Amino acid sequence: MSVITVSISDVRADLVFAHEQSWSALSQPGTWWSGAQRRELARTAVLAVSKAEPSPPWVAASTVSANDLQINFASSAAHDAVYRIARHAATLTNDWYQRVTQEIEPLAFVELCGVVCTVATVLSFRRALDLGIPELAPAMPGEPSRIKPANVVDATLNWVPVVGPADKDAAVVQAFTAVPETNRVIWAMADAQYIPDKEMIDPHWTRGTLSRVQMELVATRVSQQRECFY
Amino acid sequence: MLSWSGTEQGLEVNLENVQNASGGVEVSFARELVDFATAATEFDLSELTKTRNDLINVAGLAVAIDAAAVIANFEMMTRLADSTGARMQTEVVANRLAVATAMGVDKVVSRR
Repeated sequence: MSVITVSISDVRADLVFAHEQSWSALSQPGTWWSGAQRRELARTAVLAVSKAEPSPPWVAASTVSANDLQINFASSAAHDAVYRIARHAATLTNDWYQRVTQEIEPLAFVELCGVVCTVATVLSFRRALDLGIPELAPAMPGEPSRIKPANVVDATLNWVPVVGPADKDAAVVQAFTAVPETNRVIWAMADAQYIPDKEMIDPHWTRGTLSRVQMELVATRVSQQRECFY
Repeated sequence: MLSWSGTEQGLEVNLENVQNASGGVEVSFARELVDFATAATEFDLSELTKTRNDLINVAGLAVAIDAAAVIANFEMMTRLADSTGARMQTEVVANRLAVATAMGVDKVVSRR
């Protein structure tokens, strides 16, 4: 079998841009975490999704030396949460969320989820096309902005708080709204990877490659593989 | 979304075939797309290389790249949903019960 090589220059420019922007943001100060903390947590997420035989979900990843986690800037609890979300997301429960958010502020938890989502999506894309794992940039100095939207409220359709009014949009759409920069980065990638938000209601929309039904077939298979509750 | 987009395009999509990883009928390159998505979410690199090659050979490089992008998107969205406790309104869940049953999702033990 002759292997067909894919190059990053084959990839759409808007998709490359979205990934570069989100990947570089992993090493920059965020809303609730510093650049050093975000970079360190991103590294843990990289290790979690890359290992063929990860530590099991019921074991705190930070206690397993073979996981090779570097824990210098963020707490062990944050690293454990990152590892669990990155590798065992389908095992998460509301009890787990309640325990984690006794140690991590809920909005900091939302940003942490965004870090994991960024790592998971960029690495998945590059692995699927054998493009290699990009290096994390050196951490940028500076403090997190700690900017909290004025109207953060509890939601019925999510564990995490959201920008009100809650539950008017789908749960996945409102999930990250309480940390606007995380929300922006994630949905910029979704626009480039899947379907631009404004085209979502059009069942015939296509980039000229995959039809909508082909996209949904792939999406369904991945969601099924991950046993996604949603 | 799969059922809806297929129906809107006059295509028959057999959700049981997604469960069996054999692809939905009457969707072009369904077999290759499902095999690529399956391999991309597992750890057999030779299978991933094979399925990627197969998809490129039948559908072209641009299709394979966009399929990888959709795979990546749902590696993101599944974690977003699971980590934030996202769930659907009760009435939406009721409407989708038949779809869940066809795909075998009703056999997955809920962690929540």
